[in-house]
Amino acid sequence: MSYVNAGYAIVLGILFLYGLNLLWRRRRLTRTVARVADSRPGPGGSEPAPLPAARPAAEVG
Amino acid sequence: MTSTVVTERSDDRRRGDGADPARTGGPRNGPPALSRGTVLATRVVGVAAVVGVAFTVWLGLWVTPPDKVQGNLVRLVYIHPGVAWVALYLAFGLAAVASLLYLWPRTRSLFWDRLAAAAVEVGVVFNVCTLISGSIWGRPTWGVWWAWDARLTSTAALLVLFLGYMALRRVPAEPEVRAKRSAFAALFAALDVPIVHFSVVWWKTLHQGATVLNANLSPTIHGSMAWTLLLGFVALTLVFVWMLLVRYRIGVLEDWVGSGELDLALRERQAEGIAPPTASAVVLPGPPVPSETPAGREVPREIAEVAQ
Repeated sequence: MSYVNAGYAIVLGILFLYGLNLLWRRRRLTRTVARVADSRPGPGGSEPAPLPAARPAAEVG
Repeated sequence: MTSTVVTERSDDRRRGDGADPARTGGPRNGPPALSRGTVLATRVVGVAAVVGVAFTVWLGLWVTPPDKVQGNLVRLVYIHPGVAWVALYLAFGLAAVASLLYLWPRTRSLFWDRLAAAAVEVGVVFNVCTLISGSIWGRPTWGVWWAWDARLTSTAALLVLFLGYMALRRVPAEPEVRAKRSAFAALFAALDVPIVHFSVVWWKTLHQGATVLNANLSPTIHGSMAWTLLLGFVALTLVFVWMLLVRYRIGVLEDWVGSGELDLALRERQAEGIAPPTASAVVLPGPPVPSETPAGREVPREIAEVAQ
């Protein structure tokens, strides 16, 4: 029975930890998105100059 | 940190490949927001997955009887085929289909690329679970943790192939280039899936034949054992769907943050009076930029001078 218990514990543990990792990554990215969006000027007002036409097209490694 | 120069691609919007900020959310619009229905569906799937797994564990460990031949080791069968089903057929199968749809010109969209990437990552986790649970079952049954059996070896090869896919995705490139070569890699790796499936038929293996998806489609398991096995399949499928939804969202956010941080860096440069507001390229901090990038894209002279 110890092999069975170990099998369940390891498999479910891996899935649980990976699930937590996904939630943590999503939360961190959501916060980063909010930070980047906040640092960007909104429409109107005494905001900095508008962005140039350049739009990044590549992921930065 | 390396210097990175990214020039605008005028054909992004025209191609309709998911890179249009108006459709996917760009630096100006933010990432596409999830609808209330999607959020609710993700939560429902997540809760159903947890409940399903809990019931499977309860039935598998305490309710179902031991097997006449295998004894209590049969209880591992309630999760081992389930994780293998998710890894091989759902995750890697989905990755292959999504990659094919990306390569097909009429359906080409970065949606399929992100979906394939999400499916592969989740599939790799399930593939690891398959190998570990199989190994734990094999030790008391066969007397060894590992055997170079056709089923085991081809499953391990599948893991290595898709780890290679994930490594390939980390090689810096433009999204379209990365998506294209990743799609070819996924299709190549997925060729191993039928080999894994039919390995117990084609070769005389130590691994037993299929219990449910056999040639006659006649399950060799019955009663409460069969129901528990079926519940395990359903529960682990729900776990996969939930993980896929969350992982896909992470991919969308990662793409947006990558472009958004470039946007922020450019604005900071503008505030410092370094980058011309009409520049058609973005330069990130780093070592001097050559007048031509390794990828062969030309860098505007004024940008290269600023970087130096």
